[in-house]
Amino acid sequence: MNATTSAALVLAVMVAAYAAAKALKVSTEISLFAAALAGALAGGSGIPARHIVEGAFTYFDIVLIFVTATLFMNLLKESGAAVFVVRAILRRFHRHKAPLFVLLTLLLLVPGALTGAGSVTVLIMGGMAATVLGTMDIPKPKVAAIIFVIAGLSAAAPPVNLWAMLTAAGTNMPYVGFFLPLLVPCVVLALLTIFILGWKSKPVDLEKALAELPEAPPKMNWVRVSFPFLVFSLLIVAGRVFPFSFPILGLPLMFAAAAAAAFILSPIKLAFFKTSRDTIHQLLPLIGTLTCAGILVQVMALTGVRGLIAITTVTLPITVVFLTLFLTLPVSEAVLMWGAAPVLGVPLVLLFNTIGLNPVVALAGMSVIWPLGDAIPPTAIIGRLTTTTVGMKEPYTKFLKYCLVPAVLIAVVGTLMVVFSKKLAFLTVF
Amino acid sequence: MTRKAVIAAFGAALAIFAGLSFYRSRHLREPVVPGPSVSRVAHLGDYFGPIKGTVNDVNVYVLEGKEPGGTILLLGGTHPEEPAGRLAAWIFAENAKIAKGRIFVILTANRSASTVTRLGGAYPPDFTIPTAWGGQKFRMGDRWSNPLDQWPDPEVYLHYPTRQELAYVDIRNLNRAFPGRPNGTLTEKTCYAITELVRREKVDIAIDFHEAELQYPVISTIVAHQKGADLAAAASMFISSVEGFAIGVENSPKALRGLSHREIGDATDAISLLLEAPEPFLDATRGRTDRKLLLTGKDDFVVRAGKRGLLFEKIDEKGWPIDIRVGRHTSTVLQILEIWSGDNPAKAVVLSGVPRYTDIVRDGVGAYLKDPKTIDPAKLFYE
Amino acid sequence: MNTIVTILYYLLTAYVAVLLVANFLKNKKWQDEVLYIIVLIPFVLRLLRLK
Repeated sequence: MNATTSAALVLAVMVAAYAAAKALKVSTEISLFAAALAGALAGGSGIPARHIVEGAFTYFDIVLIFVTATLFMNLLKESGAAVFVVRAILRRFHRHKAPLFVLLTLLLLVPGALTGAGSVTVLIMGGMAATVLGTMDIPKPKVAAIIFVIAGLSAAAPPVNLWAMLTAAGTNMPYVGFFLPLLVPCVVLALLTIFILGWKSKPVDLEKALAELPEAPPKMNWVRVSFPFLVFSLLIVAGRVFPFSFPILGLPLMFAAAAAAAFILSPIKLAFFKTSRDTIHQLLPLIGTLTCAGILVQVMALTGVRGLIAITTVTLPITVVFLTLFLTLPVSEAVLMWGAAPVLGVPLVLLFNTIGLNPVVALAGMSVIWPLGDAIPPTAIIGRLTTTTVGMKEPYTKFLKYCLVPAVLIAVVGTLMVVFSKKLAFLTVF
Repeated sequence: MTRKAVIAAFGAALAIFAGLSFYRSRHLREPVVPGPSVSRVAHLGDYFGPIKGTVNDVNVYVLEGKEPGGTILLLGGTHPEEPAGRLAAWIFAENAKIAKGRIFVILTANRSASTVTRLGGAYPPDFTIPTAWGGQKFRMGDRWSNPLDQWPDPEVYLHYPTRQELAYVDIRNLNRAFPGRPNGTLTEKTCYAITELVRREKVDIAIDFHEAELQYPVISTIVAHQKGADLAAAASMFISSVEGFAIGVENSPKALRGLSHREIGDATDAISLLLEAPEPFLDATRGRTDRKLLLTGKDDFVVRAGKRGLLFEKIDEKGWPIDIRVGRHTSTVLQILEIWSGDNPAKAVVLSGVPRYTDIVRDGVGAYLKDPKTIDPAKLFYE
Repeated sequence: MNTIVTILYYLLTAYVAVLLVANFLKNKKWQDEVLYIIVLIPFVLRLLRLK
């Protein structure tokens, strides 16, 4: 049996196992795990404990980021800081929709731009932004769509874009020249998203909104609210400005420090251990997905399925490659997350380079499209994180429907950036 | 409660089997039979105290000739997942007879990275090179230092001293951390120690052995610092006409920081060169990931990528066997040394006993690995 | 200084491992139990310095 047939067979078994598990009402996470086990068995590897556990480690550091960042956010919420901020924004901006939208967009873009993770945007700003947008009578699925799309763009926004960095690292390209090719589309598309989806929103009914919101604890003030964020920002900035004298803290510890600050400064006494346990419970579907997706990727590499997918994609005719970027990139993201960059990003960029495109602009275009995959199954990691954060009860497909318009815009812009990358090379000045 | 116990037992079984496997490959000892010219075995920590006693306080095999001459540094295992680099260094340490000059050989420049395998990569834990006396087992290794030795990573890696922004994982990549930082991470300290070795031993040429995926534009080539451009060009010409294979030359780019061919050349008086051989095992389009692919370099998917014009090196169904990859490295070094010695008689490095490309392709790498059972165990070294 | 940071990471890992175990013991759904155990494995192996 040749390599293609055997890898295709393993892939078929994996898909069948996933579908069967889903049909038996098994959760997405366990279904991914079942698909991985079935793939390993079909590939003749038995139950490869080493590979399963090594795969489970793939996103270990990202799991730690999720846990610490969500704990930070939950402590802020319980201390009354979140509602305090929302009330303040509403009082100040309830009459001016456009400046309010611009302010929210910027607030949503910053965390992801600095960390390269859209999840951080959702975790830090998502809850507050959702409450504000909710007061404008925007339905929850629409609110979730706004936050999700901008969070994805924030992850793509400079300075840190992990897809571009990982792909650049895999192609011996310095991560230089990406600032404008990433900044321009991300900011423009984020503003378009909030204005398109929020167009029909009503002006805030201040009295009603304030009455519906819970009261902030009387002792809450701006110092207590902003200090934990200040701690986090200072730690990020210190690492950038003094990289050779400041210790390497990593995002999990920075979030832990911010969480500690929020806990200490809370005007009301918080149950730290209980909030921690609730955080883990709340995050279980997400960290479970990350862990199981890592296992799946490892088994795909082990059995050759990963190679089959990569080779099939890059050997399509070039026009088909261009026209299917909107599909291949998000799908690879949905299965592999950042693993999509080395698996698909590297061969695609090298392909574009060989045919004379500008690799920096092309890669920037690709990495604007990539985050769209975070809303689609099997993992749908950030999409689900967003709907949980927003507290959406409606079916997930409703949220996807609202994502469609901005997603098409993003896919078109990203694809055009790839196709016309040579003409846009002037953007790669720094 | 029974259900919980069953689930916990399942998890424990996975953790125990995997844990044992990780422990075994992390602690797999690889014996080295020091060759006829090894006068002493130093440690990297001798050149920079703070890495003494760490996992990267690795052996430095010092090969000395009777006559004084030039000094060469060979680096294997900068990226342990590129095994031809380690094996080529191994062959020099175990076989070379030096008549003139000195060669410093490091077999596992980033030992930490040799104790771990790539997350999500499905690498085998180890591989065995067949020999007449049974075979020698090596750790597979990864491109990046083991997180057990360096944790956490920053959210973005700023290279020292240029502040160039690189992907966060590359803070554990030895070949992105040169010239090194004395108060930095383990990886940066290791680079600093190697740079110190080059300075203190007055190394004339530092050669870093690598392998690359065929889809990587820098392949089958000598990457040369501008100081070594002529030497590399001459070597490439001679190799292509007499050694039975072709190798290109590339200038070390000034915009890409942290690489040995750029930073060692900039920071010291040495000429810095980096050799790349083709390793289909590393290609993103590779099929089944196993020991066979690692050692034979045969892969149908990579061949398909080649037919589509996506590769920077040829590949057919014969693949890129490890013997060819190692042979390319040894022959390239021998040619570089012959040209260098001809041009710089006072700094010549003259040696024999190291197999060339045709020898290794004919006999296999295993023919040049020494049987550790044949010598007094007290005289063995371990990587 | 970097050593202190690394130690803090092990403490953080231990804390999350404790939370995972506590939630596993209190949980009632088998799927969640399986998931807690799978997620827990990397935490345990990191604490034991095996991976």
